[in-house]
Amino acid sequence: MEFFSQTYVALRGPTGAPQTAADTIGKLSDRLSPATLLADRRAAVLALKGLARDCKHDVGDRALPGLLEVLSNDAEVDAEIGKAVLETLNILCDVEEGLSTSKEVGFKHTDYVLANEKTVHILFALLGDSNFYTRLATLQYLSTLLQNRRQVVQSYFLKAPTGTGSVVSVLEDKREVIRNEAIMMVQGLISQSPDIQKVLAFEGAFEKLFNTVTQEGGVEGGAVANAALTCVDGLLRFNTSNQSYFRETPLPPVLCSLLLFPPSLQNRDSAPQEFALQFWDGQKQANATLVVGIIGMLIGTKGSSAQEASAFTRCLVEMALASNAPTPLKTQALRLLPSNLNFPLSEIVLTPYMPVPETNGEEWDRLEPASALDALTELALHGEYNGLESAKRIKEGLELRAAAVSVFENFVRKDEIKLAIVQAMLPTEDTGPSGVPMTPLLHALITPPSSTSSLDSASVTSTHLAALLFSHLLRSSPRAKSLARLITPPPASTHPEHGAGNFFVPADGAPPPPPPHPEFDDDEPPQTLLHILSENLSLSFLSRSRASTSDRESREWDRLVVGYLCLLSQWLWEDPESVRDFLDAGGFGVLVEPINQTSEVDSIVPALCAFLLGICYEFDREPGEITRTTIYPILSRLSVDTLVGRMARLREDDRFKAVGPDSVVLPYPSASYLQPSLKPETEDEGEIWFDWAFVDFWKSNYYTIQRGLSTEPDQLSSASGQNAETVMLVASLRDVIRNQSEEIERLQRQLKDRSSSQEDELIALKKQVDTLSSELQVSEERRRDTEKEQEDLLVLLDEVTSKRKRDKARLREAGQEVSEDEGDDDDDDDGNSE
Amino acid sequence: MSGITWHYVLKFIITGDAAVGKSSLLIRLTDQRFLANPDPTLGVEFGSKLITIPEEDKIVKLQCWDTAGTESFRSITRSYYRGAAGCLLVYDVTSRKSFTNTRSWLADVREHADPHLTCILVGNKVDLCEGDLNGRRREVPTEEAELWAKEEGLLFVEASAKSGQNVEDAFVRAASDILSKIRRGVFDDDRSPGVKLSKPNGDLALEQGRAKQACCS
Repeated sequence: MEFFSQTYVALRGPTGAPQTAADTIGKLSDRLSPATLLADRRAAVLALKGLARDCKHDVGDRALPGLLEVLSNDAEVDAEIGKAVLETLNILCDVEEGLSTSKEVGFKHTDYVLANEKTVHILFALLGDSNFYTRLATLQYLSTLLQNRRQVVQSYFLKAPTGTGSVVSVLEDKREVIRNEAIMMVQGLISQSPDIQKVLAFEGAFEKLFNTVTQEGGVEGGAVANAALTCVDGLLRFNTSNQSYFRETPLPPVLCSLLLFPPSLQNRDSAPQEFALQFWDGQKQANATLVVGIIGMLIGTKGSSAQEASAFTRCLVEMALASNAPTPLKTQALRLLPSNLNFPLSEIVLTPYMPVPETNGEEWDRLEPASALDALTELALHGEYNGLESAKRIKEGLELRAAAVSVFENFVRKDEIKLAIVQAMLPTEDTGPSGVPMTPLLHALITPPSSTSSLDSASVTSTHLAALLFSHLLRSSPRAKSLARLITPPPASTHPEHGAGNFFVPADGAPPPPPPHPEFDDDEPPQTLLHILSENLSLSFLSRSRASTSDRESREWDRLVVGYLCLLSQWLWEDPESVRDFLDAGGFGVLVEPINQTSEVDSIVPALCAFLLGICYEFDREPGEITRTTIYPILSRLSVDTLVGRMARLREDDRFKAVGPDSVVLPYPSASYLQPSLKPETEDEGEIWFDWAFVDFWKSNYYTIQRGLSTEPDQLSSASGQNAETVMLVASLRDVIRNQSEEIERLQRQLKDRSSSQEDELIALKKQVDTLSSELQVSEERRRDTEKEQEDLLVLLDEVTSKRKRDKARLREAGQEVSEDEGDDDDDDDGNSE
Repeated sequence: MSGITWHYVLKFIITGDAAVGKSSLLIRLTDQRFLANPDPTLGVEFGSKLITIPEEDKIVKLQCWDTAGTESFRSITRSYYRGAAGCLLVYDVTSRKSFTNTRSWLADVREHADPHLTCILVGNKVDLCEGDLNGRRREVPTEEAELWAKEEGLLFVEASAKSGQNVEDAFVRAASDILSKIRRGVFDDDRSPGVKLSKPNGDLALEQGRAKQACCS
């Protein structure tokens, strides 16, 4: 205070005459020169600080150079003058408050301060000062400068000799106020500067920031945790180098842990309940949003290890499908799943929860475990918690369901998966016709629109979303389309217990056993899905044209019709056999009528009808009852120009125009000028008309159809982008393929013949060998018998010979004459002679 | 993947003139492939690699920051010197100028980095001199570079990012030099910013974070 009074006395002058502010400021500015005593300079700075707010312009004009000099000379030495000069400068450069002229002045002062790098370097050096006020004021001033002229400060920062070290060390200042201020300052410093992001990451900013987050209580923490997470996000986003460095650190699993999700959870284990059921408030949601955002960024970019990616994906899937996280967080989690999703959704088993009614979200029922794919389909078809709130159609809820649909779309991107899912809807051989599987998707798709007056908007949305899901299964997959033609769902109306859709069964797992329905006419073959859809379409057309329907209700009918038409357009596209089936089901007549109604308020239904009609005409290439030749006169009667005009109006419709890859849900009622009486029932009611896939499909194909409408029935396909040359090329290639396949078939047949004839020969030979060997055996035996006989005979002969010898001897004894020679060589001759 | 762990994390910087092949050396080390026509590095890029130091029987995780050689980024790259434990000072054996400039790079390193930092001089692109008997392409003789490295107390190796020759060796030699410094107590484990023991960071009390460290290679 002493300085104050001394200064004032000195300034007032001996006469005591009143002075202008400008004079005072001038005199105070003179006192800032290094020649004066430190105490005087300090007093002058304090006085200027007092004047700065009211006389920003004058103080800046006169005192700024002096103040900067004080900053560079004294701030380090004297904490008090340092604090005062920093605060004064901060006021002078502030553009936050005040009139626009004051803002201009603030920018002008900022530019003066930033004219060279000196001041910024001093400021970063001052961050090393451990004095509380100096640090705090420096951080605040740096924040202000960054806010005003970020890029200039950033470029000076990179050249500052002590910049990074001191910034990172203030991030872990023990004094909370400083640490928090530092986090705020760093947010500005790293913004859009990959170089600074990398330097800070190198110096260990990630570790420091995560320390802060955990100290603050993780996602339960307040604004500081939020700011620290924002910084982490800022360091990583669009910075691949930092992302790969971050992956090297032990920090990625901490992200899961922050959400209470165990990062090393195995696929077969289920997520713990403390993850699934948490208490949520706004701040926690904001923090969790940041964490989920970082996780999504890390899965979305390449370079993550398989293990890390699967832990992150699982975490997001669990959060979206089996937790009580706030709806926007779930939506975000689904949207961040990578588009080339190769996560075994059908193998992960999770446990969804339902809030116990009347407990205000404090008690939860555990539902039957289901596969993640089933839970996803269920979420899309009926909304969160089994369609608890789906009748209200809150925009948030619809966003979540739309996100689920697009995850499904990504999941079925591979043809094999599409086919497997469609296959599951076909009757299997062992169950017979009564065991036709009824998956929830199929059920929601074929639920007929209620013919009674009250239209359940929840069930309209279900059917509409089912149509979206189903079109993802069929789009541009000829094999899936031909499989889908074979689907013959059991009639839904005969199972009233299925009607409400408030049940939870696996989408492609074991369905509830369909009860026998004897009342159903057994003679009549079961209807195919395509038949049912065209019937439902015609039913909806009838109901919507009833005079008694209110505006709101007719809009619901429109939506249902749009759902059917979009699905059918994508199904029949490039699939003549499906076109045949559809036309046989009487689809043509259904389409013609709405086009003809000229009083149509709504332009999108006739536009889609015209489009589908065009598709039918274009791809009606199979022989049948209704051929191109029969359709052509009808088209001419409707007039091709009218049809083209109808189609053109779709693109002008807001409901079509507003759809983007990420924005499918529109506020209700969009394009409301058509029906001014419509009011949303709840505050933020939303609605879905088209999804991006259809918009994309339409945009790339409507022109083909438009041109196709005016081609003669006997002309070849007018498919766009195919000139005569390519058509011929394709035709000739087809010929080549056909010839080749014929050839292959022929060769295969030959091969088969050959091999079978060889086999015959072999069998014959074997047989021959058998007979020969048995013959051989027989003759061998015979030979052995003969040998034996011979031996016996020899023995006999021997006996006879010896007998004869004896007889001869006896004869000789008896004196009779016996021929000698005969007795001598009888041994030799006997065998031969006898 | 799991079970692999490391005893030390060492921070390396790779520095030297523009277009001497710093990024290519790093890619060769981390991906075992040759980057034929890389774009000039902007600022700094990051790469990492686990290597084994046989004589110490230690596994070391190298975190390498590949800096830009372009003059305009020089002030940025200086920010990285301070936290590094090792430095690869790269020149191109077919460019006299790049060798001459290593003196100024070394001065930069000496000025900003930890005094105990291990520096290895790497003569890159030796593949260009192979079969080149009269030595027309080579502008920096091995002996001269070796002598200079000795005078300055640097390690020295000639390498080729294209063929892969001596690339890993360069890092291994630098790393084992750092390890021997650690053994002798030159680095006071956690004090030096470039060296970290693999023990979990005490402040990160989250259990999972610790468990995961062993398996996120």
